[in-house]
Amino acid sequence: MRKIIVFVAVVGLISSCTKTEKPLPIFGQREVVNGDTVYHKIANFQFVDQDSAIITNDTFKDQIYVSDFFFTSCRTICPIMKTQMLRVYEATADIPDVKLLSHSIDPEYDTVALLHDFANRLGVSSDRWHFVTGVKDSIYKIAQTSYFATAMEDKSEPDGFIHSGAFLLVDKEQRLRGKYDGTKEEDVNRLLVDIKRLRKEYE
Amino acid sequence: MSKLSLLAVFVIVLASCNPSKKPGRSVKFQQYFVEGDQLYTVHCSNCHQKSGKGLGLLYPPLDESDYMEENLSEVICLIKNGKSGELMVNGQQYNQPMPGIPTLTDLEIAEIATFIYNSWSHDEGIIEVQQVTKMLQKCKEGT
Repeated sequence: MRKIIVFVAVVGLISSCTKTEKPLPIFGQREVVNGDTVYHKIANFQFVDQDSAIITNDTFKDQIYVSDFFFTSCRTICPIMKTQMLRVYEATADIPDVKLLSHSIDPEYDTVALLHDFANRLGVSSDRWHFVTGVKDSIYKIAQTSYFATAMEDKSEPDGFIHSGAFLLVDKEQRLRGKYDGTKEEDVNRLLVDIKRLRKEYE
Repeated sequence: MSKLSLLAVFVIVLASCNPSKKPGRSVKFQQYFVEGDQLYTVHCSNCHQKSGKGLGLLYPPLDESDYMEENLSEVICLIKNGKSGELMVNGQQYNQPMPGIPTLTDLEIAEIATFIYNSWSHDEGIIEVQQVTKMLQKCKEGT
Protein backbone atom coordinates (compact mmCIF):
# COMPACT_ATOMS: atom_id res chain seq x y z
CA MET A 1 0.00 0.00 0.00
CA ARG A 2 2.75 2.37 1.05
CA LYS A 3 4.71 1.64 -2.11
CA ILE A 4 1.73 2.53 -4.22
CA ILE A 5 1.38 5.88 -2.51
CA VAL A 6 5.05 6.68 -3.08
CA PHE A 7 4.71 5.61 -6.71
CA VAL A 8 1.68 7.84 -7.24
CA ALA A 9 3.48 10.75 -5.60
CA VAL A 10 6.54 10.29 -7.83
CA VAL A 11 4.43 10.05 -10.98
CA GLY A 12 2.54 13.14 -9.91
CA LEU A 13 5.76 15.04 -9.38
CA ILE A 14 7.22 14.05 -12.73
CA SER A 15 4.08 14.88 -14.66
CA SER A 16 3.84 18.29 -12.99
CA CYS A 17 7.42 19.07 -14.00
CA THR A 18 7.03 18.15 -17.63
CA LYS A 19 3.59 19.65 -18.06
CA THR A 20 3.70 22.11 -20.96
CA GLU A 21 1.91 25.41 -20.63
CA LYS A 22 -1.45 25.57 -22.31
CA PRO A 23 -1.45 27.91 -25.33
CA LEU A 24 -3.49 31.11 -25.12
CA PRO A 25 -7.10 30.77 -26.23
CA ILE A 26 -8.22 31.91 -29.67
CA PHE A 27 -11.31 34.10 -29.37
CA GLY A 28 -14.38 34.08 -31.56
CA GLN A 29 -16.24 31.79 -33.94
CA ARG A 30 -14.37 29.16 -35.88
CA GLU A 31 -15.37 26.99 -38.77
CA VAL A 32 -13.84 24.11 -40.63
CA VAL A 33 -13.33 24.70 -44.35
CA ASN A 34 -11.97 21.79 -46.40
CA GLY A 35 -10.57 20.21 -43.26
CA ASP A 36 -8.82 23.38 -42.07
CA THR A 37 -9.98 25.36 -39.07
CA VAL A 38 -10.65 29.00 -39.93
CA TYR A 39 -10.49 31.33 -36.93
CA HIS A 40 -12.02 34.71 -36.24
CA LYS A 41 -9.67 37.45 -37.43
CA ILE A 42 -9.49 41.23 -37.13
CA ALA A 43 -11.39 42.61 -40.14
CA ASN A 44 -9.68 44.86 -42.69
CA PHE A 45 -9.25 48.42 -41.47
CA GLN A 46 -7.68 51.68 -42.54
CA PHE A 47 -7.10 54.51 -40.08
CA VAL A 48 -4.72 57.47 -39.77
CA ASP A 49 -2.23 57.82 -36.93
CA GLN A 50 -0.69 60.77 -35.07
CA ASP A 51 1.91 61.24 -37.84
CA SER A 52 -0.75 61.18 -40.60
CA ALA A 53 0.49 57.72 -41.61
CA ILE A 54 -2.08 55.28 -42.99
CA ILE A 55 -2.47 52.39 -40.58
CA THR A 56 -3.89 49.11 -41.88
CA ASN A 57 -3.68 45.42 -41.02
CA ASP A 58 -0.40 45.39 -42.98
CA THR A 59 1.15 47.80 -40.47
CA PHE A 60 1.03 44.88 -38.01
CA LYS A 61 2.32 42.22 -40.40
CA ASP A 62 4.51 39.76 -38.43
CA GLN A 63 3.74 41.77 -35.30
CA ILE A 64 1.93 41.08 -32.07
CA TYR A 65 -0.10 44.07 -30.98
CA VAL A 66 -2.17 45.36 -28.09
CA SER A 67 -5.24 47.41 -28.95
CA ASP A 68 -7.60 49.64 -26.98
CA PHE A 69 -10.35 52.27 -27.41
CA PHE A 70 -10.24 55.68 -25.73
CA PHE A 71 -10.61 59.42 -26.36
CA THR A 72 -8.36 62.27 -25.32
CA SER A 73 -10.96 64.36 -23.49
CA CYS A 74 -12.14 61.42 -21.38
CA ARG A 75 -11.76 61.91 -17.66
CA THR A 76 -13.14 58.65 -16.37
CA ILE A 77 -11.26 55.46 -17.15
CA CYS A 78 -9.03 56.59 -20.06
CA PRO A 79 -6.33 58.27 -17.98
CA ILE A 80 -6.00 55.04 -15.98
CA MET A 81 -5.90 53.03 -19.21
CA LYS A 82 -3.21 55.29 -20.59
CA THR A 83 -1.18 54.96 -17.39
CA GLN A 84 -1.42 51.18 -17.74
CA MET A 85 -0.75 51.18 -21.51
CA LEU A 86 2.33 53.27 -20.80
CA ARG A 87 3.49 50.40 -18.57
CA VAL A 88 3.01 47.99 -21.48
CA TYR A 89 4.91 50.41 -23.74
CA GLU A 90 7.81 50.59 -21.32
CA ALA A 91 7.81 46.85 -20.57
CA THR A 92 7.99 45.99 -24.28
CA ALA A 93 10.62 48.61 -25.18
CA ASP A 94 13.19 45.98 -26.12
CA ILE A 95 10.81 43.64 -27.95
CA PRO A 96 10.88 44.52 -31.66
CA ASP A 97 7.74 42.63 -32.71
CA VAL A 98 5.27 44.10 -30.19
CA LYS A 99 3.28 47.24 -31.06
CA LEU A 100 0.41 49.22 -29.54
CA LEU A 101 -2.72 50.55 -31.28
CA SER A 102 -5.05 53.01 -29.53
CA HIS A 103 -8.24 53.95 -31.38
CA SER A 104 -10.05 57.20 -30.66
CA ILE A 105 -13.80 56.69 -30.29
CA ASP A 106 -14.29 60.47 -30.62
CA PRO A 107 -12.50 60.81 -33.98
CA GLU A 108 -14.17 64.08 -34.94
CA TYR A 109 -12.69 65.84 -31.93
CA ASP A 110 -9.49 63.78 -31.81
CA THR A 111 -7.85 65.03 -34.99
CA VAL A 112 -4.41 63.94 -36.18
CA ALA A 113 -2.92 67.14 -34.75
CA LEU A 114 -4.55 66.55 -31.38
CA LEU A 115 -3.44 62.92 -31.24
CA HIS A 116 0.07 64.04 -32.23
CA ASP A 117 0.15 66.44 -29.32
CA PHE A 118 -1.34 63.83 -26.98
CA ALA A 119 1.30 61.21 -27.88
CA ASN A 120 4.11 63.76 -27.56
CA ARG A 121 2.89 64.79 -24.15
CA LEU A 122 2.76 61.17 -23.10
CA GLY A 123 6.34 60.96 -24.35
CA VAL A 124 5.84 57.99 -26.68
CA SER A 125 7.04 57.25 -30.21
CA SER A 126 4.81 56.52 -33.21
CA ASP A 127 7.17 53.68 -34.21
CA ARG A 128 5.70 51.53 -31.49
CA TRP A 129 2.45 53.18 -30.39
CA HIS A 130 -0.07 54.31 -32.98
CA PHE A 131 -2.93 56.59 -31.92
CA VAL A 132 -5.49 56.42 -34.71
CA THR A 133 -8.51 58.36 -35.83
CA GLY A 134 -10.84 57.68 -38.76
CA VAL A 135 -14.45 57.21 -39.77
CA LYS A 136 -16.43 56.97 -36.54
CA ASP A 137 -18.71 54.15 -37.61
CA SER A 138 -15.75 52.10 -38.85
CA ILE A 139 -14.07 52.44 -35.46
CA TYR A 140 -17.23 51.47 -33.56
CA LYS A 141 -17.83 48.55 -35.87
CA ILE A 142 -14.33 47.13 -35.63
CA ALA A 143 -14.43 47.56 -31.85
CA GLN A 144 -17.55 45.48 -31.55
CA THR A 145 -17.23 42.90 -34.31
CA SER A 146 -13.46 42.33 -34.43
CA TYR A 147 -12.20 43.12 -30.93
CA PHE A 148 -15.42 42.31 -29.01
CA ALA A 149 -15.03 45.61 -27.15
CA THR A 150 -17.80 48.08 -26.40
CA ALA A 151 -17.56 51.55 -27.94
CA MET A 152 -20.47 53.83 -28.77
CA GLU A 153 -21.91 57.27 -28.20
CA ASP A 154 -24.24 57.72 -25.26
CA LYS A 155 -25.34 61.22 -24.39
CA SER A 156 -26.46 60.14 -20.93
CA GLU A 157 -22.88 59.34 -19.92
CA PRO A 158 -20.83 62.15 -18.28
CA ASP A 159 -18.35 62.21 -21.20
CA GLY A 160 -20.85 61.29 -23.93
CA PHE A 161 -19.54 57.79 -24.69
CA ILE A 162 -19.65 54.32 -23.27
CA HIS A 163 -16.69 52.11 -23.86
CA SER A 164 -14.92 49.26 -22.19
CA GLY A 165 -11.47 49.67 -20.71
CA ALA A 166 -10.32 46.47 -22.36
CA PHE A 167 -6.85 45.82 -23.73
CA LEU A 168 -6.93 43.28 -26.56
CA LEU A 169 -3.99 41.05 -27.47
CA VAL A 170 -3.72 40.20 -31.18
CA ASP A 171 -1.30 37.63 -32.61
CA LYS A 172 0.67 37.67 -35.87
CA GLU A 173 -2.22 36.00 -37.72
CA GLN A 174 -4.49 38.85 -36.55
CA ARG A 175 -6.37 36.55 -34.21
CA LEU A 176 -7.63 37.79 -30.85
CA ARG A 177 -5.74 35.93 -28.11
CA GLY A 178 -6.46 37.79 -24.89
CA LYS A 179 -8.72 40.35 -23.26
CA TYR A 180 -7.66 42.30 -20.14
CA ASP A 181 -9.07 45.07 -17.98
CA GLY A 182 -6.85 48.03 -18.82
CA THR A 183 -7.90 49.83 -15.64
CA LYS A 184 -6.51 47.11 -13.34
CA GLU A 185 -2.81 46.80 -12.69
CA GLU A 186 -3.00 43.05 -11.93
CA ASP A 187 -4.82 42.33 -15.16
CA VAL A 188 -2.21 44.27 -17.10
CA ASN A 189 0.47 42.20 -15.33
CA ARG A 190 -1.28 39.15 -16.77
CA LEU A 191 -1.15 40.76 -20.22
CA LEU A 192 2.61 41.27 -19.89
CA VAL A 193 3.03 37.58 -19.06
CA ASP A 194 0.76 36.56 -21.95
CA ILE A 195 2.76 38.65 -24.44
CA LYS A 196 5.81 36.56 -23.53
CA ARG A 197 3.81 33.33 -23.82
CA LEU A 198 2.48 34.38 -27.22
CA ARG A 199 5.95 35.24 -28.51
CA LYS A 200 7.11 31.72 -27.56
CA GLU A 201 4.64 30.29 -30.09
CA TYR A 202 6.71 31.91 -32.83
CA GLU A 203 10.12 30.78 -31.60
CA MET B 1 -0.23 48.87 35.21
CA SER B 2 -1.97 46.21 33.14
CA LYS B 3 -4.76 48.68 32.49
CA LEU B 4 -2.28 51.21 31.25
CA SER B 5 -0.59 48.78 28.88
CA LEU B 6 -4.00 47.69 27.62
CA LEU B 7 -4.79 51.32 26.91
CA ALA B 8 -1.48 51.74 25.10
CA VAL B 9 -2.22 48.73 22.90
CA PHE B 10 -5.69 50.10 22.20
CA VAL B 11 -4.30 53.48 21.17
CA ILE B 12 -1.71 51.88 18.90
CA VAL B 13 -4.35 49.68 17.27
CA LEU B 14 -6.61 52.68 16.72
CA ALA B 15 -3.80 54.75 15.28
CA SER B 16 -2.75 52.01 12.88
CA CYS B 17 -6.30 51.63 11.58
CA ASN B 18 -6.12 54.88 9.73
CA PRO B 19 -2.75 55.33 8.08
CA SER B 20 -3.89 58.38 6.09
CA LYS B 21 -4.23 60.50 9.22
CA LYS B 22 -1.59 63.03 10.06
CA PRO B 23 -0.08 63.03 13.53
CA GLY B 24 -0.28 66.04 15.78
CA ARG B 25 -3.25 67.71 14.09
CA SER B 26 -6.68 68.68 15.30
CA VAL B 27 -9.67 66.38 15.01
CA LYS B 28 -11.21 68.79 12.50
CA PHE B 29 -8.10 68.65 10.35
CA GLN B 30 -8.15 64.84 10.42
CA GLN B 31 -11.81 64.80 9.34
CA TYR B 32 -11.11 67.17 6.45
CA PHE B 33 -8.02 65.21 5.46
CA VAL B 34 -9.63 61.76 5.51
CA GLU B 35 -12.74 62.93 3.64
CA GLY B 36 -10.52 64.82 1.19
CA ASP B 37 -8.47 61.67 0.57
CA GLN B 38 -11.62 59.77 -0.44
CA LEU B 39 -12.93 62.58 -2.63
CA TYR B 40 -9.52 62.89 -4.27
CA THR B 41 -9.55 59.18 -5.11
CA VAL B 42 -12.98 59.49 -6.74
CA HIS B 43 -12.65 62.80 -8.57
CA CYS B 44 -8.97 63.57 -9.13
CA SER B 45 -6.75 60.49 -9.02
CA ASN B 46 -7.75 59.15 -12.45
CA CYS B 47 -5.68 61.88 -14.06
CA HIS B 48 -3.39 63.22 -11.33
CA GLN B 49 -2.73 59.69 -9.99
CA LYS B 50 -2.96 58.48 -6.43
CA SER B 51 0.74 59.37 -6.10
CA GLY B 52 0.00 62.97 -7.18
CA LYS B 53 2.63 62.63 -9.91
CA GLY B 54 0.31 63.36 -12.86
CA LEU B 55 0.93 61.74 -16.26
CA GLY B 56 3.62 62.88 -18.67
CA LEU B 57 2.93 66.39 -19.92
CA LEU B 58 -0.80 65.64 -20.11
CA TYR B 59 -1.85 65.97 -16.48
CA PRO B 60 0.30 68.16 -14.24
CA PRO B 61 1.72 66.86 -10.97
CA LEU B 62 0.32 67.92 -7.60
CA ASP B 63 2.97 66.33 -5.41
CA GLU B 64 5.43 69.10 -6.16
CA SER B 65 3.86 72.09 -7.84
CA ASP B 66 4.88 75.72 -7.83
CA TYR B 67 1.51 76.53 -9.38
CA MET B 68 -0.33 75.10 -6.37
CA GLU B 69 1.95 76.86 -3.90
CA GLU B 70 1.34 80.24 -5.52
CA ASN B 71 -2.31 80.02 -6.55
CA LEU B 72 -4.50 78.64 -3.76
CA SER B 73 -7.61 80.60 -4.68
CA GLU B 74 -7.27 79.69 -8.36
CA VAL B 75 -6.92 76.02 -7.44
CA ILE B 76 -10.12 76.27 -5.38
CA CYS B 77 -11.90 77.85 -8.35
CA LEU B 78 -10.70 75.33 -10.92
CA ILE B 79 -11.75 72.33 -8.81
CA LYS B 80 -15.28 73.72 -8.98
CA ASN B 81 -15.34 75.34 -12.43
CA GLY B 82 -12.66 73.57 -14.43
CA LYS B 83 -9.89 75.15 -16.44
CA SER B 84 -8.74 75.15 -20.04
CA GLY B 85 -5.87 76.69 -21.95
CA GLU B 86 -2.18 76.68 -21.22
CA LEU B 87 -0.94 76.23 -17.70
CA MET B 88 2.68 76.43 -16.52
CA VAL B 89 3.65 74.07 -13.71
CA ASN B 90 7.28 73.75 -12.59
CA GLY B 91 8.43 75.38 -15.83
CA GLN B 92 6.52 72.90 -18.03
CA GLN B 93 3.58 73.85 -20.17
CA TYR B 94 0.38 71.80 -19.89
CA ASN B 95 -2.68 72.20 -22.10
CA GLN B 96 -5.25 69.53 -21.34
CA PRO B 97 -8.66 70.92 -20.35
CA MET B 98 -9.73 69.99 -16.83
CA PRO B 99 -13.47 69.61 -16.36
CA GLY B 100 -14.91 71.27 -13.28
CA ILE B 101 -17.11 69.50 -10.78
CA PRO B 102 -19.89 72.00 -10.07
CA THR B 103 -21.76 69.50 -7.89
CA LEU B 104 -19.09 69.64 -5.18
CA THR B 105 -20.11 71.54 -2.05
CA ASP B 106 -17.87 74.20 -0.52
CA LEU B 107 -17.10 71.80 2.32
CA GLU B 108 -16.09 69.04 -0.09
CA ILE B 109 -13.78 71.43 -1.93
CA ALA B 110 -12.25 72.48 1.40
CA GLU B 111 -11.68 68.80 2.21
CA ILE B 112 -10.04 68.09 -1.16
CA ALA B 113 -7.89 71.22 -0.79
CA THR B 114 -6.87 70.24 2.73
CA PHE B 115 -5.91 66.80 1.45
CA ILE B 116 -3.83 67.95 -1.54
CA TYR B 117 -2.25 70.85 0.35
CA ASN B 118 -1.07 68.52 3.12
CA SER B 119 0.05 65.53 1.07
CA TRP B 120 3.35 64.73 -0.66
CA SER B 121 5.59 67.80 -0.37
CA HIS B 122 2.86 70.12 0.94
CA ASP B 123 2.22 71.14 4.55
CA GLU B 124 -0.16 74.10 4.47
CA GLY B 125 -2.48 73.07 7.30
CA ILE B 126 -6.26 73.06 7.17
CA ILE B 127 -8.12 75.00 4.48
CA GLU B 128 -11.41 75.94 6.09
CA VAL B 129 -14.79 75.92 4.41
CA GLN B 130 -15.24 79.65 5.18
CA GLN B 131 -12.04 80.45 3.26
CA VAL B 132 -13.24 78.34 0.34
CA THR B 133 -16.65 80.03 0.22
CA LYS B 134 -14.98 83.46 0.07
CA MET B 135 -12.59 82.36 -2.68
CA LEU B 136 -15.40 80.82 -4.72
CA GLN B 137 -17.32 84.08 -4.65
CA LYS B 138 -14.37 85.80 -6.27
CA CYS B 139 -13.74 83.25 -9.04
CA LYS B 140 -13.24 84.91 -12.38
CA GLU B 141 -15.43 83.91 -15.28
CA GLY B 142 -14.06 80.78 -16.90
CA THR B 143 -11.59 79.83 -14.20
